[in-house]
Amino acid sequence: MNEPRTLTALRHVVLLLFVAIALWPILDVVSISLRPGDRLRSTEWELIPENWTLDSYRQLFTEQPFLRWLGNSLLVSAAVTTFGVVLASMGGYAFSRFQFVGRQAMMLSILTTQMFPATMLLLPLYIMIAKLGLINTFWGLSIFYVSTALPFCIWQMKGFYDTIPISLEEAAKIDGCSQFSAFTKVILPVAKPGLVITALFSFMTAWSEYIVAAQVLQDREMFTLPLGIKGFQSSMSTQWGLYAAASILVSIPVVLVFMLLSRYLVSGMTLGAVKE
Amino acid sequence: MVWVGLQRFAELFARGQAGTVNKLLVLLTLLVGCGKQDPRQIVTLWHQMRPADRAVLDSRIEDYEQQNPGIDVRALYKETEELRSGLESAVLVGAGPDIVYGPWDTLGVYNEIGAVQDMAPWFPPEVQRQFDPRTLAILSDKVDPSIRKLVFVGDRFGNHLALIYNRNLLKEPPQTTDELIAAAKTNTVDHTGNGRPDRFGIVWNYTEPFFVIPFLTGHGAWVFANDEAGDGRSEAPPVPELDTPEAIAAYQFVADLKTKHHVLPVSADYNAARELFLAGKAAMLIDGDWSWQDYLSAEGIDAVVAPLPVVSSTGLPMVSMVSPKGYSLSVAAQGDRAENAIHLIQFLTDTPTQRAFLEQQKIIPSRLSLRDHPLLKQDPTLITSLALTQSGRVMPLVTEMRAVWDAMRPPYQLLMSGNITAATATRKMQQGAERKIIALTSIVQPGVTAPLLPYAGMTLLLGLLAWQRHSFVEFVRDLRHNRLAYAFALPSLLAIFLVVVFPLVFNVVLSFSNMSLQSFRTWEIVGLQNYTDIFIGDQATKFWGVFLKTIFWTAINVSLHVSIGVLLAVVINGPIRGKAFYRLLLIIPWAVPAYITALTWRGMFDYEFGAVNHAIVAINYYLPELLRLEVIDWLNLPNPAFAACIIANVWLGFPFMMIIALGGLQGIPQELYEAARIDRATRWQQFWNITLPMLKPVLIPAVTLGAIWTFNNLNVVWLVSNGGEPADQTHILVSYVYKAVFNLYQYGYGAALSMVIFLMLVVFSMFFLHKTQATERVN
Repeated sequence: MNEPRTLTALRHVVLLLFVAIALWPILDVVSISLRPGDRLRSTEWELIPENWTLDSYRQLFTEQPFLRWLGNSLLVSAAVTTFGVVLASMGGYAFSRFQFVGRQAMMLSILTTQMFPATMLLLPLYIMIAKLGLINTFWGLSIFYVSTALPFCIWQMKGFYDTIPISLEEAAKIDGCSQFSAFTKVILPVAKPGLVITALFSFMTAWSEYIVAAQVLQDREMFTLPLGIKGFQSSMSTQWGLYAAASILVSIPVVLVFMLLSRYLVSGMTLGAVKE
Repeated sequence: MVWVGLQRFAELFARGQAGTVNKLLVLLTLLVGCGKQDPRQIVTLWHQMRPADRAVLDSRIEDYEQQNPGIDVRALYKETEELRSGLESAVLVGAGPDIVYGPWDTLGVYNEIGAVQDMAPWFPPEVQRQFDPRTLAILSDKVDPSIRKLVFVGDRFGNHLALIYNRNLLKEPPQTTDELIAAAKTNTVDHTGNGRPDRFGIVWNYTEPFFVIPFLTGHGAWVFANDEAGDGRSEAPPVPELDTPEAIAAYQFVADLKTKHHVLPVSADYNAARELFLAGKAAMLIDGDWSWQDYLSAEGIDAVVAPLPVVSSTGLPMVSMVSPKGYSLSVAAQGDRAENAIHLIQFLTDTPTQRAFLEQQKIIPSRLSLRDHPLLKQDPTLITSLALTQSGRVMPLVTEMRAVWDAMRPPYQLLMSGNITAATATRKMQQGAERKIIALTSIVQPGVTAPLLPYAGMTLLLGLLAWQRHSFVEFVRDLRHNRLAYAFALPSLLAIFLVVVFPLVFNVVLSFSNMSLQSFRTWEIVGLQNYTDIFIGDQATKFWGVFLKTIFWTAINVSLHVSIGVLLAVVINGPIRGKAFYRLLLIIPWAVPAYITALTWRGMFDYEFGAVNHAIVAINYYLPELLRLEVIDWLNLPNPAFAACIIANVWLGFPFMMIIALGGLQGIPQELYEAARIDRATRWQQFWNITLPMLKPVLIPAVTLGAIWTFNNLNVVWLVSNGGEPADQTHILVSYVYKAVFNLYQYGYGAALSMVIFLMLVVFSMFFLHKTQATERVN
């Protein structure tokens, strides 16, 4: 497919503009991480400060349990992603394809759980976690994260399944598939872009959360990354260098995960083969 | 093999350890059955020491563990407010640390909610006499006021402000405020001649009322009417006194520095003030003892710590509000745990520990024996520091202090941004303080509706069940027919509802209750008062204002998220090179944690040095006739500050919508476009008639939830506007709730407000989803 050169050029202009906007504040974070002396603000704009240093990065690995936090975060996020994708791919399918009693009520009630201001739920949540003896365990945290990520994931998957023509399964069933194997063998592969978004979203829910984590995890060795990073913050004497350096490092795994998955997000496999 | 791996994963998971070799070995020995547990007794300590102090604390704890092999000390740093709220929640379930270390301010609250216990049995009078009396807190028991308890043993005294000046710019510190103004004027210079100074005479964090206290004392004002003795121990309820002629004179003086003498930057929060001074762009700075080391050791400036000057018009010295920091014994520590905890507290408040803090961190000790330490006689900074702590006025140890700070902050900010006069500011402060103290100290009594509520609730529930009984029967019948559907849907539902049901129900109950600071553990159901307060109380007009603002905030954010997201997805989806590259760079705002980028945005909106205003200047310079933009004082004016929050939030949110739209675009069959081209449809028509309708099923969940999340997005507003600045005018409903609950402990009111927010969102999404048919099944 060809298109006029001016249009292609316009595409590049728009994208470059937004790339600049997207990166602008990030460069500031990079700059803070290279500045000695924990200085958040600067009166001159410069990406590489005059007396730049990688000391904050070095400290993270040598003086702070950064790798331990990274491991903890990876463990929790991996578990949440797995559960999130499995449960949401099934739940979304049920809501998209079946007509059953309570379907609408269930879908709406899932949504309503997202509507309560989260800060007000902290106190009862802490009481619950404490009573169940889940303080200082990753179970307590992961269950909470899965349940926060699921409502969006289920709705998202439902939306994706809705775009897949129902004739696809009907054809599979004619070929002798059961409803279940039609789901796993035919629908799931086609729904990959949706699964990728679900996976990314579940991952991010667990990866960047710290408010609930601060309630559950009470031992520095068990901290997840965001919680560790928040520990560099203290009123009027924050370790800005470490804070910024760690924030940059925290985003790298996200970018990697995205790189890995984005191939499926735009794999070009289309439903074009299925003629309605 | 795989199974063993899984098992180990599960075990590690359950113990919450990512696994070092050591821990694995312990685990293995445990598995083979001959392991022994760590026999040491654990003492937990929550503290809020700043980073440099933490190093000293950690090394002292190490010494302690060596001397006491049977004890394992678990010290955990928590930010001051997190420590407070963490301890409050822990008290409710009888959990929490054995020891808390924190500032004086929170002590009244801890005592009020019964979080701390008496330490007098271990610190008898003869031991207490070894401490500076201002570093011990003896408070009345909440239940029986005749019982006096030693609830706090300080290890340091200070938190005082001083004038730090840069000797490269200023030879001698000013002795009087007249000298200060003169020195500040000569040091406010505009090198570049662009009409905006490049260097300022004086800076300080003038968003925070703590820093204005020396100006008040210098003019003969204070914050309470009845603690003249200044020891903060008066038992009568304190009466705020913020609206005196002396206070007006003080605020007038401060405002004049900015508007009349022009020696202050247009805006200065803590980090901006600090940076100006460190960069040599401010001759003088007012900052506290916790920060002096940074300035003294900074390169490029020659910082000296000096006392604040004497106010010329009154002849009074500017003295700061001083307070100790120290240890309290938590109620969670009982029996042996209490003994162990006290032993550690004794160690950490003992002479050797305090000497270490004095020598390494220049901290004024609480032990009188150390006041003769040679450093306090030789080190110029410490000599000044000690003198300032002696002359300082002790922060009143009353919970009302919190209400006073809260009441001072908004008018002070409005005054500094030139919106109100000093007289108006003080009047507002006084009114605000009186109102907030009532909110903080009164207990709502059960109303007439209270006894009816349980019945009403039961009736409602039964009615609902009766009304829906048919669908219940149908549901059971359907379980068998639609087995696969339920098997698919129910696990997720269980996972979701197991977690939220209890907190939701708890909140419903709380919203009818009078839970507040006074009744933190003895709250009861009082009826519908909290709801009537929201809609017809004296705060009602404010509520509706905030509500409208929230609607605006949500609408503009979501529409920008979606339109930018879809635009980028469509642009990127075309036949161009470098797709992967663009895609990756464009999701970065989503990948970097928002808690740092929001703060970065705040810095970018700074009036003097922020990148946004720099960009505006640059655009005007290179394209002089094109836009004629004006530089804006983003953070100090209500509307620009709110716009700043919106810009930051749009930036944070568009990548996610882009990803979703990108995913959705993959599902659109190319044949549709081919057919359209044959029909000679323009690109715009194709987008409008094919792309958008085909994206709809994928976008609707994202838009619905996006709207809900944006409506409830506390973080961005809180961080970019620094908790509602200026003057609480950038609040959306959730930040408004947050402030009510966490600053004034109005749990009942907060819960009711949350219920209102919740119901609003339910109505909105029902309406929206009904319009868009999103819950319909495809056929």
